[in-house]
Amino acid sequence: MTEHTLNVAVIVKLEPDFTEGNVSYNSDGTLNRAETKSILGPHSAVASNAAFYAKVRYGARVAVTTMGPPIAEQALQQAQLLCNAEELHLYSDRIFAGADTLATAEVLKQGISKLDGGKADIVFSGHRASDGETGQTGPQTAWKLGFTFLGNVIHYDIDLRNRTVRAKRLISLQGFYDVVEEVEAPLPVFIAIDPSYKASFHTVSQRLAFEKYQKEAKGRAQNYKQYLKVFNAQQLGADPKLVGLPGSPTIVYKVERIPKAKASRKADVIDGSDREALRKVASKMYEVLEGMVIK
Amino acid sequence: MSEKYQHLYVVIEHDDGKLVPVSLEMLGEARRLMDGFNKKYKADEKVVAVVLGYNAKKMCDELIFFGADAVIYADSPELLHSRNLVDTKVVSSIAKDRELAGKFADASQFIKPRYMFFAADSIGRHLSSTVLAELESGLASDINKLVVEDLEIRHEHKTKGQAMKYEKTLEMYRPDFSGFLWTTILCLDNRNPAIAREYHPQACSIIPGVFAPIECDTSRRGIVVDYQPTFDERDLRVKIIDRKIVKSAVDFDSHKAIVSFGRGVKDAPEQNIRLVTELGEQLEAEIGISLPISKKPFTVGESISNLYMIPDRVIGTSGRKVEPLLYVAAGISGAMQHIAGMKESGFVVAINPDENSPIKDECDVFIKGRMEEVIPLLLEELRKQKPAIEVKK
Amino acid sequence: MAEKYDVAIIGGGSAGLAALKQLSKLGKQAVLIEAGKQPGTKNVSGGILYSKKPKNGLAHNVEDVFGPEFLSDLPIERRITKYMLHSTSRNRVFTMDLTAAHEYQTNFAYTVLMNKLNAWFASQAAESAERQGGGIVSGVHVRSISWLEEGTAIVETDELEPFEVKAIIAADGVNSEVAEITGARPKFTPEQLYQGVKVVVKLPAEIIEQRFGVGPDEGAAHLFAGDVTLNHIGGGFLYTNLDTLSVGAVYHFDSLMGRPAEPDRLVNALLKNAMVSEMIKDEVPVKDEIDRDLPKEEQLRIRFAVSKLIKTWNELRDSYYSPAARKKLVEAGKYKSEEEIKSRLDLVRNELEAKYRTKFVTDYVELEYAAKLVPDGKRCMMKKPYHRNVLFIGDAAGRGVFIGPRIEGLNVGIDDAVRAANAVARAIDRNNYSQQYMGEYYSQLVDDSPYTRDMKEIDKDYLKIFLDASKDVPKDIIGQRYGVVIKLMSSGTLRGLAVGFANLLGYDRLLPLVESEDTYVQVPIELAEKMGRPINAAYEPSIPTLAQRVAKLKYDDDRISHIKVLNPRSEFMKKMVTLCPTNCYTLEEEEVTLQHEACIECGTCSEKTEWRHPRGEKGVIYQYG
Repeated sequence: MTEHTLNVAVIVKLEPDFTEGNVSYNSDGTLNRAETKSILGPHSAVASNAAFYAKVRYGARVAVTTMGPPIAEQALQQAQLLCNAEELHLYSDRIFAGADTLATAEVLKQGISKLDGGKADIVFSGHRASDGETGQTGPQTAWKLGFTFLGNVIHYDIDLRNRTVRAKRLISLQGFYDVVEEVEAPLPVFIAIDPSYKASFHTVSQRLAFEKYQKEAKGRAQNYKQYLKVFNAQQLGADPKLVGLPGSPTIVYKVERIPKAKASRKADVIDGSDREALRKVASKMYEVLEGMVIK
Repeated sequence: MSEKYQHLYVVIEHDDGKLVPVSLEMLGEARRLMDGFNKKYKADEKVVAVVLGYNAKKMCDELIFFGADAVIYADSPELLHSRNLVDTKVVSSIAKDRELAGKFADASQFIKPRYMFFAADSIGRHLSSTVLAELESGLASDINKLVVEDLEIRHEHKTKGQAMKYEKTLEMYRPDFSGFLWTTILCLDNRNPAIAREYHPQACSIIPGVFAPIECDTSRRGIVVDYQPTFDERDLRVKIIDRKIVKSAVDFDSHKAIVSFGRGVKDAPEQNIRLVTELGEQLEAEIGISLPISKKPFTVGESISNLYMIPDRVIGTSGRKVEPLLYVAAGISGAMQHIAGMKESGFVVAINPDENSPIKDECDVFIKGRMEEVIPLLLEELRKQKPAIEVKK
Repeated sequence: MAEKYDVAIIGGGSAGLAALKQLSKLGKQAVLIEAGKQPGTKNVSGGILYSKKPKNGLAHNVEDVFGPEFLSDLPIERRITKYMLHSTSRNRVFTMDLTAAHEYQTNFAYTVLMNKLNAWFASQAAESAERQGGGIVSGVHVRSISWLEEGTAIVETDELEPFEVKAIIAADGVNSEVAEITGARPKFTPEQLYQGVKVVVKLPAEIIEQRFGVGPDEGAAHLFAGDVTLNHIGGGFLYTNLDTLSVGAVYHFDSLMGRPAEPDRLVNALLKNAMVSEMIKDEVPVKDEIDRDLPKEEQLRIRFAVSKLIKTWNELRDSYYSPAARKKLVEAGKYKSEEEIKSRLDLVRNELEAKYRTKFVTDYVELEYAAKLVPDGKRCMMKKPYHRNVLFIGDAAGRGVFIGPRIEGLNVGIDDAVRAANAVARAIDRNNYSQQYMGEYYSQLVDDSPYTRDMKEIDKDYLKIFLDASKDVPKDIIGQRYGVVIKLMSSGTLRGLAVGFANLLGYDRLLPLVESEDTYVQVPIELAEKMGRPINAAYEPSIPTLAQRVAKLKYDDDRISHIKVLNPRSEFMKKMVTLCPTNCYTLEEEEVTLQHEACIECGTCSEKTEWRHPRGEKGVIYQYG
């Protein structure tokens, strides 16, 4: 086993494939999960790319983890293709079902402490899932692990000697401006990667290393089961009161249609010099703008 | 009467003393919610603003004018800029602090807030997650509707299948990924004896631009509480090395209206673009462009070109996808790539001299005419109905 | 400190990849730099890949370079067994079987799609290269080349830190930026070029075989001349791939400059021809309009359900018409028998028709639109294809073979690549990269290539075969124009003399006679009118607009503009408004402006603009090529 300079984990999720031709909806507009294919979530894919950067530049050891039913293996395989992971973890147990983000974070925290490579230096997650979209699981897992949390990361570099990470974060202050903040933190850290992250390699040798690891990843992903470890609740040492539905403070109470009367677009054509018509348009514009404000 | 869980704590966001708009929006909704709450339950619970900062105490008065009953203000050079690790611990300590609560109400039984609000933006979404992990309670994110209700709940785990009454429950509505549906999230105690657990605060992060602030009322009075935070040495090793403001406000998401222009400005680019921006101001809209404009096809003054003819303003498959309530396309023919970026808009108005342009099939009102003629008239009509508002940015 | 490598190959088309493979086989380290996201994403070919056995001289063929793996993996489409030339006029067609001419000195001819072919070349070449410490770097665009005093070249790119190499092989195609950066040769001019434009059409495998009368691995190549050319010099082609067709046209660029015609209109003229439309037709589902009065969620559900069913129908149908795919499905246990696949297919179709009122009509399915300039070696091959320690191969050196219906580019590039690689390897062994030792040596190797001879002289035996094929053509049609010539050529003795004489005169004097409107347009039209048979087209193909074709292409848009118009008022630019295959130029009040969202980097406008490829990974991404 080669000496690894860095131990890195990625948290991923298997999500519905929302692309047209693959997704199915019910008549009430809800997702028809049974008829819709599942794939590695797009934000999970970006996180996997971020982990791959650590492997190519620093020779990091990479593990991919996920909590889900047995089919979630597919997410692990697809992620391994992207980041050439050495280790795949699936946390699967009936009692994990119905977990909200806090209960999920509990499971992930337990699992990440059981990596073959030892204590993780960096854990990556995507910005949010494309179905749940809360974006909460990452930070909550970070908190339970006791790792410094860095969100919206668009670039990072590691100082292996000092064991610190330097990351650039993109912070949007809605209604103000965007700030790119450069922050330095000691390892271990939890990085939630910004959707716009793109790994870039700047020398010929790094690019060649990239290709080499990519090819290795293809081979590994084809035999992904060799790298896979499945954990149930007992093997994780998970406290049943803290996971699954029992461990979830929140529940989904109901789902209903948002009352919005949206007529299909058929344009009213008016002449640009017609004052009366323009007056009506102006009035309609204000009406539309007042619409959503809840007084 | 003192209970274990009281008050609505609102975690305020600001940049170096300037309040981010969503902070006032949260306070507005908090005020409305708690006024209703106090009336319904004959209670006197407070809206408490929680602010972390450095030398930014002057914000506190403004917070009270906009609806806070009390402001807990933590001041330290270590809180100049947001660092998740540091902020989470400070906010959580404040939330659990009985002595602080006692400064503005009877807090003899106080353990944690009843409700908490955060902003659903870059900082708030993460901060809310970690704070609630620390406070070991539930969080619903990206909320755009809130109701306090007494609910009868029957749940396999929480109530062991029995029907039980949960009073003063916060119904948190979030729009789902399809945009059609509201999912209502509740944070509920486990009353099943096998897994008994109390979960408070009921917390949510709120989508910017959804709620309205209350009218600024300078006669409002409230209590400002100073808080001296303590820090763990290790946490301070997270250092902010540099901060760069990346661009001026090209922020489509927080605007209800977008006015875009395309190559139809070509006959007199400077004047036409100016007309477009005037229209944008009147509608409090952000300015967008079609892709060709970002390649700077006409010569205009540098300020206009740097401000408007930039890739960040592009709406379309190569740029941003937007869904404002109102979308005005001036001098845009409606290339497929552009349409893909704006077709989810609520109400679409196109201004174009060519009735055969594709945009006609994607708009609700098609004003046939050249923008140099139409926009001045349209502006007049708009101004008659609503005189130009002072835009606070 | 700059990284150092022995050789840089710039451009990951078939030629560049062959050079990489050859160098690696010779134990040399080389790095190939490709601007596209992956090799193959920016290449277009008609396309056919030939392997030749010339009577005189030696051709380095693809199977020589890539070994038996090529023949066992066969990343190609079909092996051509039929080669027909059709003369068209309205709906009349006169067909000549040119299969013999096609097989002249040929081992094999395979139809190919560049994305697939070059991807295969790339994985093979990369594996070999990695063992020598090199490899392929994609998504990188070379921006400039400079030299240190001792001759080492410094390569600067948009994406990477500069690095040093001892030798460079320029394989960056007809629009070679290396040629321009180094000043090795001037840009090609319209008389030296052809503009090729094509579409890839979907057609299930067994339907291709039935319709074109070929076996499971076999294919047909059809050429077209006559009124389909809209009176331009050149011709149309239709090649059968595995489960698609490549349909396109190649015309003299200067003919197009003389009387500009929109490239998409040129390809449409071909598609609308009765014979061609009958060749490309298929069964196509047409979605019904969704009732706007239904609730929005139901509209959504229907839209996605129909999309999914149509996708299923297409996939199932493609499998059903491919014996290999059918077998796989049954073996995988997804279906009990091949008949079951058909019944499932019918079931899906019935659901679409009955439940969603989808209609199945006769039409054709277009998958991808593409265009590229092609160099005519007879007119523009580099006499000295090198500059300092940079060797030029393939289209970058202007080395395309165009002789009547004989069009070859891929095999020429591969042959050049081997010669260049050998010259470079020799230089590495002696540590001498000087122009005399490496460049000149390569130039001599290239001179010996049988392809070079073809670009300089007429081959009399090829001519004979060609004439034999046209023996059914009545003399009175050809006689008026070429009667004397034909008489000469038909006689064995005289032919030898005539050809010798012709070669003395030189191609450039003869070509205007041969490559003329008469040859490509008038004569074929007459043939078709007098001798052709009528073809009835059963339907009218619905041809996509240019906007629709462009919308289907994949781009990674580069925010920085990669083309600069130097003289917006010139006649040249005004013609570009018509000649750009994707309509990137517009004329506004006497000035031509560029709006390049849709640029497919064909090079049509490159001669008189500041023309560069987009930065790494940016620009068009072809799926088929």
